[in-house]
Amino acid sequence: MKNLTKYFVSVSGVTLAALAASPVSAAGTDAGSNILNTVTVEYQVGGNDQDDVVASDTFVVDRAINVIVAEVGNATTSVSPGAQNAVTTFDVTNETNGYVDIALAVSQIVGGTAAHGGTDTFDVNNVEIYVDDGNGSFDGTESQVTFLDEMDNGETRRIFIVADVPTGLSTGDVADVELTGTAREGNGGTTGGAVGAAITASTGGDTAGVDTVFADADGVFDGIAADDDDYTILAAALTALKGSTVLSVNYPIAGATEFYNIPGATVEYCIAVTNAAGGADATSVQISDPLPANTTFVASSIMIGGTATIDDNGTPGNPADDTLTSCDNSGGSAGGSFGSNTVSANLGTVTAGTTEIVTFRAVID
Amino acid sequence: MKYLFALLAIVAPIGAAMANQVALDSEVFVERSVEQADGNVTVTMEEPTRVVPGDSLVFVLSYENTGAEPAENFVVTNPIPEAVAFVEAIDAGAVYSIDGGENFAALTELRVTGEDGVDRAAQPVDVTHIRWTLTAPIAAGGSGQLRFRGVVR
Repeated sequence: MKNLTKYFVSVSGVTLAALAASPVSAAGTDAGSNILNTVTVEYQVGGNDQDDVVASDTFVVDRAINVIVAEVGNATTSVSPGAQNAVTTFDVTNETNGYVDIALAVSQIVGGTAAHGGTDTFDVNNVEIYVDDGNGSFDGTESQVTFLDEMDNGETRRIFIVADVPTGLSTGDVADVELTGTAREGNGGTTGGAVGAAITASTGGDTAGVDTVFADADGVFDGIAADDDDYTILAAALTALKGSTVLSVNYPIAGATEFYNIPGATVEYCIAVTNAAGGADATSVQISDPLPANTTFVASSIMIGGTATIDDNGTPGNPADDTLTSCDNSGGSAGGSFGSNTVSANLGTVTAGTTEIVTFRAVID
Repeated sequence: MKYLFALLAIVAPIGAAMANQVALDSEVFVERSVEQADGNVTVTMEEPTRVVPGDSLVFVLSYENTGAEPAENFVVTNPIPEAVAFVEAIDAGAVYSIDGGENFAALTELRVTGEDGVDRAAQPVDVTHIRWTLTAPIAAGGSGQLRFRGVVR
């Protein structure tokens, strides 16, 4: 007995310090934990030490249900029309002081203000929910889920909403998506099986055992949390202008100083492709231009690249009334192909706010 | 936790087996502040039947000298439960330990070395034990209470 008492005294400080770290998780002390308070009195009577007096009190920590859904990045996801598997990212956190399942659902708003401004104008298709496999970003290897199984006290899991974007949309079109997480009964950390039952808060008649209360951070006490993210269309807006100019090269009248579109004269055609500022870069831009009637293509005359001078007719940003003033292909390089009486050239990428040109030559028959 | 229970089971009967002339009781209440319609805030003390992390607790230690002689050098020591963050003593005269009950001093005299190696003043949350030493003997039949506040972690 005495040995045991001494043992208690000698280890008590260390033991308590070690215990203090263990049961308190991120979202607070686990539901069902006993909080034991013990008080000790030492005293003397008539100058003589008396035996210590010990008293204790214990109570049980109840369960406070709280789920957090938070969009990650605080920025819209820019997508191209027709994009497949466009991703928005959320973090779902169990702030309940115990295990819960969290059921997940995605809804889309119709009209109204989207998460990052702008008005919702379209819905995405084939919406699916995936849970991160550990690297924090969607890479197609994740598991599709409908609920998060056995979320521990304070645990966060990353969720990806993956959807397809319809075609035929313009830059600035917005689709808002909302991820809703609903707390459901957990199974004490044992995973597997279907989503747990709905959680019911204890009402009236507090018990000395574990009660359940909703403690939602959003102030609506229902164990449900939601957040929004959105997709914004970033499309390329391409316009093409075409012009031609008579060259002095191989002009049929020797010594001429003025050049006209007469048979035998060589004409250089210029096609200028402009991608409007503020949109997406256009990639794999292909030009195909049927050769005009009564002309003959000049072999190997296709040049890709150079600069164009465009008259915007006093209305910058409105390409409809623009005209091509001149082209300079001195910075270009030979390329393209000619077949079936059609000139073909690959411009590659036309970045937003820039113009690329293709020139070729033909002789008037 | 289980370990602590086991130890207490051993310790408690020692006191119980001896003739004690001091009765001691430990109680815990949940302190709730409820704003009334008129804007006044009513503070209630409830039995801890519904307690969740973040709730405020009041620990009440009641003692009574049930013997015929005065009790002298009366020292009350209460380790703070591991799931409770100490907030403040309600009754004056307490000293504190931040090292598991090894050393006791006024909170302002205690220093903590943080994880970054920087020395800082001890905060209530660092407190591991609270102790009151009563300077005056408790007369036969005398009683009193000592209280402190904590928050469920």
